[in-house]
Amino acid sequence: MTKTIKTRVQRYNPDLDDEPYFQDFDVEYEPGMTVLDALLYIQDKFDSSLAFRWECRGGQCGSCAVRVNGTARIACRTKVEPDEVLILEPLEKLPIIKDLVNDISQVTFRIRRIRPYVARDKLPEQYPEIMHSDSIEKLREIRKCIECSACLSNCPIVAETWDYPGPMIIRQLARLELDPRDVEDRIAMAMNESVYSCTTCKMCTDICPKSIDIPALAVELLRAKAVEAGYPLASGQQGFIDQIKATGRAVPEKKTPLLKEIETEEFLVDNPRGRVAFFTGCLIDYRMQNTGKALIDVLNRNGIDVIVPKEQWCCASPAFRTGDLHTAQDAARRVTEIFEKISEKYDLDTVVVACAGCGKTLREDHRPFIEEQRGEPPMFKVYDMAEYMLDVIGKENIVKPKGEIKMKITYHEPCHLGRGQGVIDQPIELLKMIPGVEYVEDPYKNRCCGAGGGVRAGQRELSQKIATTKKGYIEDTGADMITTECPFCTIQISDILKGTEIKTRYIPDLLAESYRLGDEKE
Amino acid sequence: MEYKTIMCDVLVVGAGGAGCRAAIEAAKHNLDVIMISKELLGKAHTAMAEGGYNVSLGNVDPDDNPETHFKDTIVGGNYLNNQHLAEILVRDAPQRIFDLEDMGAVFDRTPEGKIAQRPFGKQSWRRTAYASDRTGSEIMVTLTEAIRKTSVRVFDEVFATKLLVTDGKIAGICAVDLKYGDYLIFRAKSVVMATGGAGRIYKVTSNAQLDVGDGYGMAYEAGCEMIDMEMVQFHPTGMVKPESAKGRLVTEAVRGEGGILLNSEGERFMKRYYPDVMELAGRDQVARSIMTEVLEGRGSPDGGAYLSIAHLPKRIVEFRLESMIEQFEDAGVDIREEPMQVSPTAHHFMGGLKIDENASTNIPGLFASGECTGGVHGGNRLGGNALADTQVFGALSGETAAKYAKENRHLGIDRDAAIKEFERLEAMLQRKDGVSPADARDELTALMWSKVQIFRKEEDMAEAVKELRRIEKEVVPQIKVDVPVKRFNPGWHQAMEFVHMVTTARMVAEAALMRKGNRGAHYRVDADPDETGYYNIVIRKGKDGEMELTKEDLVITKITPP
Repeated sequence: MTKTIKTRVQRYNPDLDDEPYFQDFDVEYEPGMTVLDALLYIQDKFDSSLAFRWECRGGQCGSCAVRVNGTARIACRTKVEPDEVLILEPLEKLPIIKDLVNDISQVTFRIRRIRPYVARDKLPEQYPEIMHSDSIEKLREIRKCIECSACLSNCPIVAETWDYPGPMIIRQLARLELDPRDVEDRIAMAMNESVYSCTTCKMCTDICPKSIDIPALAVELLRAKAVEAGYPLASGQQGFIDQIKATGRAVPEKKTPLLKEIETEEFLVDNPRGRVAFFTGCLIDYRMQNTGKALIDVLNRNGIDVIVPKEQWCCASPAFRTGDLHTAQDAARRVTEIFEKISEKYDLDTVVVACAGCGKTLREDHRPFIEEQRGEPPMFKVYDMAEYMLDVIGKENIVKPKGEIKMKITYHEPCHLGRGQGVIDQPIELLKMIPGVEYVEDPYKNRCCGAGGGVRAGQRELSQKIATTKKGYIEDTGADMITTECPFCTIQISDILKGTEIKTRYIPDLLAESYRLGDEKE
Repeated sequence: MEYKTIMCDVLVVGAGGAGCRAAIEAAKHNLDVIMISKELLGKAHTAMAEGGYNVSLGNVDPDDNPETHFKDTIVGGNYLNNQHLAEILVRDAPQRIFDLEDMGAVFDRTPEGKIAQRPFGKQSWRRTAYASDRTGSEIMVTLTEAIRKTSVRVFDEVFATKLLVTDGKIAGICAVDLKYGDYLIFRAKSVVMATGGAGRIYKVTSNAQLDVGDGYGMAYEAGCEMIDMEMVQFHPTGMVKPESAKGRLVTEAVRGEGGILLNSEGERFMKRYYPDVMELAGRDQVARSIMTEVLEGRGSPDGGAYLSIAHLPKRIVEFRLESMIEQFEDAGVDIREEPMQVSPTAHHFMGGLKIDENASTNIPGLFASGECTGGVHGGNRLGGNALADTQVFGALSGETAAKYAKENRHLGIDRDAAIKEFERLEAMLQRKDGVSPADARDELTALMWSKVQIFRKEEDMAEAVKELRRIEKEVVPQIKVDVPVKRFNPGWHQAMEFVHMVTTARMVAEAALMRKGNRGAHYRVDADPDETGYYNIVIRKGKDGEMELTKEDLVITKITPP
């Protein structure tokens, strides 16, 4: 028997239809089948007028970007899941010509606006022109772009405003900035094209058929060059940097910080199954002391020794994100030194983080920088808390939380946890272990909340717009509570949910609460 | 019948490597240039070229020079090349690659910072410049960037269907705006055809969907002479599975970088066929060797041969063959660890519009460049010569078309012919009964794949010719579009393409039937051993509307065939 897949395709001919509608087709499944194969099957067997673009079928031309189950992908390199309904829609943000074919004239216009070619004021003195491999290495990577426009579709910034030209075009600016032959002031252009609007959510990287890390290789690169060129940061962003430089914390002290409150740095258990150091990050130390304590409690209950160094330093994520490389790199050195010393002192090799932003920064920014500087990376491994529990302690070994929390709970996947560290299912697994919790999946759970990348600090209005869109998705789930694993997301989401019944919680808090309730029961 | 007329000085049809380069060149002459493109700008098949660009820079092997490049090209082309054109190719290739660098191209470098060069089949030296294994993409991206700097007006998703000729000279074209379905006439003083090849007339091909031979069909109908149409290159290494990836190109760079071919017995079989050059024999030779292994029962399980690069350091593979890694990852194969399965795939048309040293066709005002032309590559094209061809002849055709436009005025248009053309296209939409383009296409591509293929024989080709004549008479007038909508209707697009596919296929089959001996890519199992085959076959539409084929003498400047 041949297997068929239910395929729902958005149809729309603005000449004839008042609005788009979905049409269902049964597509015969073949192993290895791509979304493009499914579309061609429909076109050949059912309706030759079904409009979509394609050319090369090899991921090289970038014609066939469509939304596959909500996320933009190039059809020829996206495999069909045999057991799922396949929903195909045109890209977001761009007007529809027909069915899955978007009008890309806005994109073309926006590309031309940045003078997207190598501008020279003189030709080379000799041919062949001498260029060394190292001068084109980074350039080579971001030049793989095939202009499929997919990244524009799910970009949370572009969704709110065309003031930002989107990942693909910002990437082109970085490509030109990196080209030793180009003479235009691409930094001024990047400022003019709102390079500080990006939240570095990495959706574009996830979508990119060439996996180009646009936030790091383009956005942050252009920002660092802007800072170097003397462009001031927004005052909100500069405030963080000044705080870090003065105190090692990105925010000012209010009530007693966690690291001052705790009397010892050693939280040891009998017969430990493991030992970790806890990197608190600024917000858990200064603003969410209870979350910090909850995390220590949860790990201790699961037989893990927790070492909390009393002297810690900011990971400097705000500096990495906004381009103050001096502050950023200084912090990377300090953090590495502190935790290498602790590792040695306590004979451990694992650092646990409960903040998505810190974890991403330690892994994606500190690690390669330190390795580049001294030839070897930091001597400790970094784990997110949920990842550590599921992947290291192991689901079967986790002490079951017994206190019932009877609620409909959804989850917001912090960008820097999901796409930044590849931690996607573990936090949800933890949630599901709590008795009474009814987990409701938000199809947009990995949509950026608008806080990151210096956007909340620097462009509050834009940040609020992104958050308001997010709020709509959260409300659509019908959940009583949204949980997450990043202090920054927690602040942003609880702000935007003010005035609603929906509560915002940090996962370790919720877990600790269930343990406590369980204790009381017994 | 309503249509709009758009005016320009120079019209370029096609927006691949040659078309973009022609438009850029023409725009330098203070002329109004329009480039029309069936696809979006930057999506042309050139972006699929992988391995590289042949140019005798001598950056790696200092003894290389244009003379040797010329000799390799002629020998590789089995002496059928127009030697004037081949001389231009090797002469201008260096300056054209420097142009690309001026425009912003980023080719891989030697340790001294010069353009790096790798070995490719049948070449005396390491000559092929590259950007990893996405050289075509690099060139396409560069040209796209460059086009955006020029005054060239790009009309994308506009499909040319007919050339308009007035008093034997080019006057413009008929076209359809694919987005909204409007009929358009473009009037120009000169026209450059840069419409690419027609791999899509074969069931298994490396070509993008747009490569159906529109240019061959249109030019032939307009009275343009075509040359070497029987010479179709089957690239020896196309993907075998999954089914949907069948025919996708596996770059020659895999063999250039040291990849080896193995049969099911683990034997490096090329040593039995071409022991001196092994895997770097000509593309036609390697393709036949692989097919012989398969036919004699030593093929891989899915009907191909094994191509392995697993013995090379991973770092080299990752740097120089990054697209191949990605392409095979999708098929579940890690080429750093395991062999690929490959078999031949229809790849390149050596034949096409017959041009002279000015890239001019026999129709005054009509110029051509790139894969849609014939003569540069003779009976077999060397890997890496096509990208060079696009740049060398693209620039040349742009320049000569511009000069022609400066010296000539717009001609009047044969409006009756234009209206008749639009009515023909309209009829496909109105027809109630008939054949769907998908069915017609499947029949045609299967016919060509089985009857006019790598190993050819008289009765197969005769049958193909007979069938194609029938299709032309009976099926083409019966093509109908299921849904009579003009706004972005792929069914209609395919219907419009089909007639061009049939004309192209017929030229291939008729010329192949005429050539009795073996030469270049044309290989017959029943070859006449006495025929040296030192001639070109030229095709034109006769006065009576019938296809006329004639044998013409080779154009020789330096190298006399043995």
